[in-house]
Amino acid sequence: MSKHVLIAEDDTLLAEMMGKILSKNNVRVTIAYDGQEAVEEMEKKVPDLLLLDILLPVLDGFGVMKTMKEKNLACDVIVLSNLSDKVTQTKCREMQVKNYFVKNDMDDDALWPAIEKYLR
Amino acid sequence: MSKKTIISASNGIALRLKILAREKEAVRRKLVVTAEKLRLKAKQLAVTAREKEDVRNKLVITAEKLRLKAKQLAVTAMEKEDVRRKLVITADELKMSRKTLEKKVLERTKDLEQIKAKDEAILASIGDSLVATDKNGRILLVNKAFERLLGWKEREAQGKYLSEVIRMVDGSGTTISESERLITKAVKNRRSTTASMYYKRKDGTFFPVAITVAPIFIDNKLIGAVEVFRDITKEREIDKARSEFMSIASHQLRTPLTAIRWALSSLKRENFPEEQRKLVSIAHETSTNMAVTIRRMLMISHLEEGGREPDIAPVDLQTVLDRVSRFHDAHRQRNGLELVIHCLQDLQVRTDEQLLIEILDNLLSNAYKYTPRGGKVSVRATRENRKIRIDVADTGYGIPQEEQKRIPEKFFRASNVASPAEAGTGIGLYMVYNIARLIGGTISFVSKENKGTTFTLLFPA
Repeated sequence: MSKHVLIAEDDTLLAEMMGKILSKNNVRVTIAYDGQEAVEEMEKKVPDLLLLDILLPVLDGFGVMKTMKEKNLACDVIVLSNLSDKVTQTKCREMQVKNYFVKNDMDDDALWPAIEKYLR
Repeated sequence: MSKKTIISASNGIALRLKILAREKEAVRRKLVVTAEKLRLKAKQLAVTAREKEDVRNKLVITAEKLRLKAKQLAVTAMEKEDVRRKLVITADELKMSRKTLEKKVLERTKDLEQIKAKDEAILASIGDSLVATDKNGRILLVNKAFERLLGWKEREAQGKYLSEVIRMVDGSGTTISESERLITKAVKNRRSTTASMYYKRKDGTFFPVAITVAPIFIDNKLIGAVEVFRDITKEREIDKARSEFMSIASHQLRTPLTAIRWALSSLKRENFPEEQRKLVSIAHETSTNMAVTIRRMLMISHLEEGGREPDIAPVDLQTVLDRVSRFHDAHRQRNGLELVIHCLQDLQVRTDEQLLIEILDNLLSNAYKYTPRGGKVSVRATRENRKIRIDVADTGYGIPQEEQKRIPEKFFRASNVASPAEAGTGIGLYMVYNIARLIGGTISFVSKENKGTTFTLLFPA
């Protein structure tokens, strides 16, 4: 059975491109365009992996992770953000994020090799 | 006349004659005695006269001697008089000289007092805070700005150790001990040092300071140190505001750029005609370069803020070198450059991978950028004692000798490559030097114009 990835990304173009790449690699994709939506999607069905942006409308990435903890929604998280400051990265690491990527510093085709191992 | 009378007369006469004769005899005897006495006397007198003559002779000699002596004395006296006169003159001259000297000393003292007052006024009026200590670190003087800034009066501070008066803490709030104070180090190492720290005022509040300490020498003898510092609260605020602005601006630039970059990257894989593919490819590369520039600007901003701490983990050097070389492969091939990588097998290091990549990425990108077509770039990673040494050598334009000192400066670009045709901002090497310091390493280089440049990174394994 194919793996399920939830993408929480407010930039529609990026979200769709990510979705396309994952679909090509036989992954089932759900897209949430804000943090609240992401939590709701997870409450419906916990995915195998969450690709999480930090600066999100309604509820930001940290809020999403906090809610996941409170609601016991256990799932691996990879952060894909354009924030690259130390504070944000450290905070993410403290919240048990599996990996942290700066979107602007990678190409779309670098996405799959970067996350593949978390879906095995 | 009777016979009896005559006889008697003649008897009388005879008696008288007898008496007379006796008397005469007595007189004669007396005369003889007297004559004898006189003769003796004459003899004595003769002796005495001889003796006297002797004495007289002696006296004459003595008199002569005395005369000579007197003559000598007269000469000596004359000489003495001469000397005395001379002494009097000398004494007069000395008196004059003393007066002149006294006058001069007074004048000089006045001059010195004026100079001292001027110096003290200058010290007191320096806008930055100033404190001078003896070589044992005890405070000799502080200026007005010091008093104003810290709330301590000079008389309270004098004679105390600087650390007794001002507590110094670093950025993390740790108190700096007396032995680690800049002023102690300046005296110990006999050279000036600078640093940014925090000082505590008398009222207990802290503020950031930029400090410069220099040892004081008189005739090569160390006599103490002088510390100058100023409150940099405002500069810090400006720095912080600037950094925040940089972060926000960069993020705002990154979001749309990511969409462009990803879209172009995806388009590159489409089967377009050659010309369009080339356009897309160039557009993609440009967007990638822009992303790199933003990343570097952000990293510099973080470095300057002191907000970037190294994240140490095991790193495989060969993997890192392969990765970094791939970043620039397109550029390399397009410019017909050769790349050779030598790396000791299984060279494992413990360092911040991201920072190491940033350094190597910069060095390699520079090597390519400043090497003409057909040139060669070689990267060599070896062990040197307990450190790792990575050389990035090119056969490029090189750096003019007289400009080599300026290489670590921000925005500096060598004159032989600064033409607008060669893209470059001059922040790359500035960053490389700073990042190298973060991972405990150093950057050095040798360069010869039109022969090439070799940059060397040396960092702890």
